[in-house]
Amino acid sequence: MSAVAGAPPIAPGVGGAPPAEKPGMSTARKIGYAVLGAWIGGILLFVVLFGVTAHKDPDVANNIFSPVDEFKLDTWFKIGPISFNKGVLYLLITAGITLGVMLYISQRLKQRPGRLQVAVEWFYDFARRMSRENLDEGMERKYFPLIATIFVFILVTNLIGYIPLPVNSGETFKVFGAHIPSLQIYAADTNVAFPLILALSVFVLFTYEGVKHHGPIRYIKSLMPGGVSGPIVGLIFPIEILSNFLRLISLTVRLWANLLAGHLLIAFMGGELGVLVGLQLVSWFLLPFGIAIFMFEAVLIAGLQAFIFAILTAIYLGGAVESH
Amino acid sequence: MLSAALTPLASRSFLITPNVGIMIWTIVVFAVSLFILRRAVFPQIGKALDDRAKTIEGEIDSAAHAREEAERLLGEYRERLKEAREQADEIVQRARQSADVHEKEAKERGRETVAEATKRAQREIEVATKRALDDLRREVADLTIMATEKVTRKTLDEADQRRLVEEALRELDFSGISSGAHDN
Repeated sequence: MSAVAGAPPIAPGVGGAPPAEKPGMSTARKIGYAVLGAWIGGILLFVVLFGVTAHKDPDVANNIFSPVDEFKLDTWFKIGPISFNKGVLYLLITAGITLGVMLYISQRLKQRPGRLQVAVEWFYDFARRMSRENLDEGMERKYFPLIATIFVFILVTNLIGYIPLPVNSGETFKVFGAHIPSLQIYAADTNVAFPLILALSVFVLFTYEGVKHHGPIRYIKSLMPGGVSGPIVGLIFPIEILSNFLRLISLTVRLWANLLAGHLLIAFMGGELGVLVGLQLVSWFLLPFGIAIFMFEAVLIAGLQAFIFAILTAIYLGGAVESH
Repeated sequence: MLSAALTPLASRSFLITPNVGIMIWTIVVFAVSLFILRRAVFPQIGKALDDRAKTIEGEIDSAAHAREEAERLLGEYRERLKEAREQADEIVQRARQSADVHEKEAKERGRETVAEATKRAQREIEVATKRALDDLRREVADLTIMATEKVTRKTLDEADQRRLVEEALRELDFSGISSGAHDN
């Protein structure tokens, strides 16, 4: 045994030097490195197992399979003229959750609220402020329930759209002989019909209120921005009329396109792009990006799009009865 | 060839074609939700929030009132405390003055008592001295008469006795005893 090896350890901080920090990484950093290592290791494993040559599935090669097919509404069953599909199921789930939570809370309101009551009260207060800031007192009293319902209904629709449910009836798997639809993230507003009918209702309502308040001629005149006169009116007026109708389209497309694009992106990044190019490596490589987009969509876009639809409804209704 | 390429896209036009069934379902489900929320949920939540706001306002008002009251009471107590301190100071001052007066009086009285006692003692000493001297004179006279009668072997009459006593007393000096008694 050498003399150095047998020497007692030098106490930290001896000789005026500050005590050295404990060597080692934080737990979060360890987990981060482990995940990164698993991801890189996975890439290498996929390269070793499947190589880097694309092998497209015959369905993909023959254009039979398409990621957008997941959004097709296959009729599951019919009762008379009423057909049921996954869009209907999501609408019913939305209504069930919305009404269930709201009714449950409204029947058990306490002076000292719990977490759920605080969330519902926060939502109510938020919707109320949104209405008050854009509508006069009479209009606010009349339309607050509509604005609040639009907000909560779209919010719940969006949020349950990020929960994987067995609704993809186009792709099934067998469990004890039964054909079970594969898991899918779907939202009712990825079908253009959902935002369109809501936007159409809002359009009809604010037009009705505008005509009621101003009269038909003055309402059309009120669409013109203040201070415009002379020959330029002939140019501006058609644009304003068109932009009024474009509200319907923008309200519809904003919600629908955001949700559809978000779901498609998650599907692509979550593995479908790998299936399309026939390379499993791509699916594994893009998986972290898919998770990141999923988080971004679920946390931000779901609430943001509900808020935008609701506040635009309030703004359009308020603007319709406003005097220029 | 172009149509063959567009066929898959055309077959997937469901993405942009509004589904009438979903539109009807949406408006019905939404209308039912709106109706129920408007009737059974929003009024209750609004009322609960208004009630809570009123309660909080009431509590804030009551807290402000309580604070004002507390500040008033504090002011009052401070004033009373100040008065009490002033009174206590005055009492202490008065007590001190009174004690000084009493001390002075007691000293004066003591001094007077001592002087009086001294005078009385002096008087008593003088009286006692005088009485002692008288007794001594009487003793001396008796002894002188007795001695003379023994020497002369005859009984002296009253005139001789008086003459002898006066002569004997003249020869005795009592001044020392008298002055010694005075000194004591």
